[in-house]
Amino acid sequence: MKENISKSILRVDSRKKINGEAKYISDWKFDNVLYAKTIRSTVAKAKILSITLPEIPAGYYIVDKNEVPGINRMQTVVSDHPVFAENDVQYIGQPILLVVGPDREIIYSIVAKIEIQYKEQEALFTLEEAEKKSTVFTDYHYRKGEPETVFQQSGQLIEDEFTTGYQEHVYLEPQGIAAEFKEDTLFVYGSMQCPFYVKNALLDTMDLPEDKIRVVQTITGGAFGGKEEFPSLTACHVAIAAHKTRHPIMMIYDRSEDILCSTKRHPSKIRYKVAFDKNNQVLALDVDVLLNAGAYNGLSPAVLQRAIFAAGGVYNIPHINVRGRNFMTNAVPSGAYRGFGAPQTIFGIEMLFYNIAVKLGVDPLEYKMRHLLKKNDPTSTGGQIREEVKLPEIIKKVIEKSDYYNKLKTNKKYQGIGISLFLHGCGFTGKGESVINGKITLEKNKDIVTLKVSSVEMGQGAETALRKIVAQTLKIPIENVIYGEVDTGLVPDSGPTVASRTTMIVGGLLRETAMEMKTRWNETEQFEISKRYEHPKYLHWDDDNFSGDAYPVYSWGANVAEVEIDPVSYEITIKNIEAVYDVGVPIDNRALKGQMQGGIAQGIGWATIEVMESENGKLKQSNLTDYKVPTSMDIPEIHCSFVLNPYEFGPFGAKCAGELPSVGVPPAVAEAVANALNKTINHLPITPEKLMEIDNGN
Amino acid sequence: MVEAFRPQNLIEALYILSENECTIIAGGTDLMVQRARGFALKPDFVFPLLFIEHLSELKQIYNNSNEIHIGACVILTDIMQNEIIPEIFKEMIGKMASPPTRNMATIGGNLCNASPAGDTLPYLYAVNAKAILQNANGVRTVPIEEFITGVKKTCLQKNEILTDIIIPDKKFDVNIYKRLGQRKGMSLTKVSLLGLADISKNRIRDIRIALGSIAPTIVRSSDIERKMINKSLDEIKQISYEISNQYDKLIKPIDDARSTAKYRKKVSLNLIKHFLENL
Repeated sequence: MKENISKSILRVDSRKKINGEAKYISDWKFDNVLYAKTIRSTVAKAKILSITLPEIPAGYYIVDKNEVPGINRMQTVVSDHPVFAENDVQYIGQPILLVVGPDREIIYSIVAKIEIQYKEQEALFTLEEAEKKSTVFTDYHYRKGEPETVFQQSGQLIEDEFTTGYQEHVYLEPQGIAAEFKEDTLFVYGSMQCPFYVKNALLDTMDLPEDKIRVVQTITGGAFGGKEEFPSLTACHVAIAAHKTRHPIMMIYDRSEDILCSTKRHPSKIRYKVAFDKNNQVLALDVDVLLNAGAYNGLSPAVLQRAIFAAGGVYNIPHINVRGRNFMTNAVPSGAYRGFGAPQTIFGIEMLFYNIAVKLGVDPLEYKMRHLLKKNDPTSTGGQIREEVKLPEIIKKVIEKSDYYNKLKTNKKYQGIGISLFLHGCGFTGKGESVINGKITLEKNKDIVTLKVSSVEMGQGAETALRKIVAQTLKIPIENVIYGEVDTGLVPDSGPTVASRTTMIVGGLLRETAMEMKTRWNETEQFEISKRYEHPKYLHWDDDNFSGDAYPVYSWGANVAEVEIDPVSYEITIKNIEAVYDVGVPIDNRALKGQMQGGIAQGIGWATIEVMESENGKLKQSNLTDYKVPTSMDIPEIHCSFVLNPYEFGPFGAKCAGELPSVGVPPAVAEAVANALNKTINHLPITPEKLMEIDNGN
Repeated sequence: MVEAFRPQNLIEALYILSENECTIIAGGTDLMVQRARGFALKPDFVFPLLFIEHLSELKQIYNNSNEIHIGACVILTDIMQNEIIPEIFKEMIGKMASPPTRNMATIGGNLCNASPAGDTLPYLYAVNAKAILQNANGVRTVPIEEFITGVKKTCLQKNEILTDIIIPDKKFDVNIYKRLGQRKGMSLTKVSLLGLADISKNRIRDIRIALGSIAPTIVRSSDIERKMINKSLDEIKQISYEISNQYDKLIKPIDDARSTAKYRKKVSLNLIKHFLENL
């Protein structure tokens, strides 16, 4: 039988999640468990003068920096975040110590009596202040061509600036984690994306041998990047508490605590300088990307890399100079969120091109299309676009389906239409995939095949996709393919579940391995095959100079958004979204459409609804009453289709998909609003409050 | 340890209240959120709880000589589904919260919570609704604007229960309700306007404007409304700007996590103008 890989099947995890059978970490039960509650800084920047504890009853414990067996730093890209605060605190919400014990009510009564004396220091809150004081964590730079020369010679320059705000993930399941020692082995269980990140963090902090730490992913109710690096911190907390008390420890955040201290999308400011040739074509671009990293750098350099490598968008710009900086502020650390820096710069470049076209009095889409990248063109880092760029076909499809030009002509005032063109680099940036060197194992036992990977199902459909890839390669029923328990003691490190890499990289490895297994299918003895990822040999990357192929391949897309604005209330209603994507080959049409709809909803939220402001380091929107994400009432019907463009190293031709919709939709919505009001939109989120000021000319 | 009472009937509830200081709880959709303390912890109640949501005396809707009585513990869903309730009030309630919350929340709770953003309140102010309060010794009737005395404040005494809300059995010719939140559903109101009017022979015979979430309590001005009576629709259009400006000093919004004072002020005035120009 020849099956079409894109034909939809029932998601393998849907039944247990709908009927309530699925056990999330807060449903787990441990004998003699102790609960942990975190005491956090209530000030933005201070020296800790003293901590006065009340009398601690028997069976209750205080766990702080003094109990850390190994290094008191959470391991990530830059391991600068103390597991527990030492002599100072740098943001409101920073963990100082844990109160641990069997009864949550008693824990809270102890918490209420703990007194911390601070000597407050002058803190930095905004990107503007941080730039003025140069609190730079990371300063990256790359160039292509000779931008300086072009800018010196160019008479006509345009400058523009864009800013974007925070975004909170609002995964349905807040952060939750547990730890216990079984004899001398530490087990950590929790809601997470990257079990081996957690394990590696525990190796640093717990000072245990590698084979004495096991990290088990529990059913994860959404993550979106919010469970990429953050669970490494909470895992260290519960592990240290388990080490001290020799009891199982559980720590479940409620929503307010989660919002207070978990990572968010980086607020950004992006400045552009543009030089043109005599035909008004963009000849050179100078881009200055500023991200608010918060109090610790952590994962932010990786986010910054993706942000700056996307700075040129889908355009072939001969001369480009890009600077990217992460700034320290006394705010909760920013981190991974679907799109990972790219939504900020793609918003910037798309709106820049729109603004230029409007200024020149030319059609924005036509102007954008004059600059499109195509096969064999150099990327902004001097790599090469190796695949056929199907943007012309994608654009044709999206404008036909949305009736774009007709609506552009016939729209009345306060009705608007916008189009965005975008791409997303698949897998880790730069050397990332070679460093991770992901490994997978397939095990055959009679007619049952077990796939062993550290990639996690977190609601995105990884379990269905990966089992389907193996089943269809081996031509066996999907029920005969088992997804091995994601336990670092049982599965190899196939890398974290991030960067839209799971289907393409891990799925690709599984497909290759399954093909080998197929040749040995008649063997009766149980056997397993393991494989490691190898980056295609033709790719080169220089990590010191940021030159070469930042990504092995790209996924592409175009979105059209239609909006209506109520002139009385400035309320924005999104009437329609047309989305066309090239993700290689969809592994499952329905699952992919689900991914796209979810990502678009998050993109619409970031672009129009989700306001998170920090006032003197304190978040003004700190619960779900005040911080709103879109509901189905805010999201129009989303029309989504795919243009096939198989990638030779992707399973069945699949490329990356998960982040693409969040990257693509915000500029389409922003353009539509700009079009409706005939005004410039340079800031996200576009709220009715902001629109009122824009429409009144402020 | 918090005690709780679950009386069999209203008389028993009033008796309990005459002997004990209690926190009265109906659907709990406001209280349980306001008193939440943290994951897996008991909510923060100082006084014993008095559960009244199940009391059948408080769950009736009926009309009686041109008035509609709505029991304080009628849930929002039941108001929406009741035939004798005016359509505009149903429409307003249909925009509150979400279906699960509307299945728990009661109209009495919305009054007693006395939030400036309470979404049943603009209607109750506009139609001069009355609140019936009972204690073990008797009954008193209070106009809605006297029942609510400030932000989160009512005139309810410690020994009293709000038992009924009375609205006139009356429909208006023009019914406009606009409610703005941070998103289109399941959000608290940042500005709202209810406009009601009766029109005959192209002239205003009755007009009511109530604004929510833009001052400590609902804003309604009988004085300004009176000035519009007997004016023609054309005359109203001509003076719509002037009238909306008369509301300016009554609208005292705040900046908060959900919107800005500036936006609330401007949009309230826009909404008034828009209502008057589209009668």
